[in-house]
Amino acid sequence: MFYFLNKYRHAFLVGLQGNLVYRWNFAARGLFSLFHLTAIFILWGAAFQGTPTIGGFGLGATMTYFIALLVLQFFISAFNEDYQISEDIRNGLINQFLLKPINYFGYRLSVFAAARLVSGALVLIPLAVALPFLHSYLTWPHEGWRLALGFPAVVLSALVQFSIAYCFGLLTFWLLEIQGFVILSMAVEAVLGGQMFPLDLLPAPVFHAVKYLPFYYQMYFPAAIFTGRIDLADTESGLCLELAWVLGLLALTELLWRRGLRRHTAVGG
Amino acid sequence: MNYARIWLASARYSITRTLMFRGDFAVWSLVELFWMTTNLVTITVIYDHTSGIANWSKYEMILLVGTAMLIQRFLMGFFWSSIFEMGRNVRSGNFDFFLAQPGNVMFMATTRKIDPDGFVNSLVALAVVVYAAHRLHLHPGVGDCLLYALMVGCGLVIHYSVLVLSVSMVFWITNAQGVEGGYFTLTEFSRLPKQAFGLVTGLIFVWGLPAVVVSNVPASLLLHGFEPRWAVWLAAVAAGWFALAVFVFHRGLRRYTSASS
Repeated sequence: MFYFLNKYRHAFLVGLQGNLVYRWNFAARGLFSLFHLTAIFILWGAAFQGTPTIGGFGLGATMTYFIALLVLQFFISAFNEDYQISEDIRNGLINQFLLKPINYFGYRLSVFAAARLVSGALVLIPLAVALPFLHSYLTWPHEGWRLALGFPAVVLSALVQFSIAYCFGLLTFWLLEIQGFVILSMAVEAVLGGQMFPLDLLPAPVFHAVKYLPFYYQMYFPAAIFTGRIDLADTESGLCLELAWVLGLLALTELLWRRGLRRHTAVGG
Repeated sequence: MNYARIWLASARYSITRTLMFRGDFAVWSLVELFWMTTNLVTITVIYDHTSGIANWSKYEMILLVGTAMLIQRFLMGFFWSSIFEMGRNVRSGNFDFFLAQPGNVMFMATTRKIDPDGFVNSLVALAVVVYAAHRLHLHPGVGDCLLYALMVGCGLVIHYSVLVLSVSMVFWITNAQGVEGGYFTLTEFSRLPKQAFGLVTGLIFVWGLPAVVVSNVPASLLLHGFEPRWAVWLAAVAAGWFALAVFVFHRGLRRYTSASS
């Protein structure tokens, strides 16, 4: 078993090295994310001027939500994994994986884990610098179950994110260009994943419907657990739905991979 | 004149290419439409829970966001593909192609491609502005509309300069992925009313960086009439940032060492 996993450990370590090469890019991205956070502070600060609460939450709780979202984004979001997979298929680099006893999904997942470890660690630096300005806004709930259930939710969210990116990458077996679809889905994810505003601000029927979509579990769900926007009952039912989505998406990745390989033509040595 | 002919030839090539990949054109048109919708949905949701943002009403905000989107769509239409590819070309060494051409390198590298989907969506953005103006019972005259167009033009110059500056970092750090995000981060501020900024953030984003004036000045023209002080400031900011972009680009160019850079 350990021998079986050893090759993925190496893929993880190579991914770590590869991503550390681009540490300045991640650092720059982390720095720009602080500007993004500033824009959010200004917008929501101005929105809260006329009212003490929005959707039942004060300014501090709303800001805490966006800060949690930012940290999660760097730790679990798929940045350009879809593009990398697409390039592997288009350029024929995927052929080397077909000839070796390594699972491409496992390999990509290992590299993804390494990349998020680097980007997640690097975003903590600008956040630590900004902490003196942010700490007065931070209002964390104190229930222990939020940590106990929040971290499994984060792991499942990472799998949802990666699986969706992986599926988009595999579309290259059928389509020459997938970037348009990827960015199209990013716009949908930005709204339905709670990146633009907390999803609980949506009208109740819409919010209820959104809970059944995978986008809800990409970012909003774990962020809402940690920041007290959903209660224990919703968290438990949400975890079950999230697990169902992970299993569904994993099945879809396998289906696309098998179907895609039937169309794939390896040329050259 | 020669440059106008070169640009027209490039535009013809881009349009022909777009017609060859009509499905792609439809997808990218939808992409921009979705992102614009995302911003409008956000405004709508926030205004469902509050009466004003920095004393701007819902339709004043939509007019502001529409103006910001209009400028960004023009940037997408005229320059985005060329400047985005510039980052990758410097990394791969394909940038040699532009150096070998008998013309200004910055012009050649940043105007080679146009994206008709950006222009299609600029019509949508313009429709958003017109709709918001209609809901606000605004009746701008021809002069106001011309001044608005001029200010949108200044905004386009500012966006172009900021994007060139961001991507020019590739001459120093090799991979501009992530750094390009700096442009998008900055444009987030252009969707905010300047009254929402405090002292420090106002100094940085209203007076220091060109993020806020770029959309607030044209939107304020429609909402409150012509203010010469702000118009002059917008023109000066456009000229200043364009000069800075030219300077940094050419500084970066000196570091370019072809495929091995």
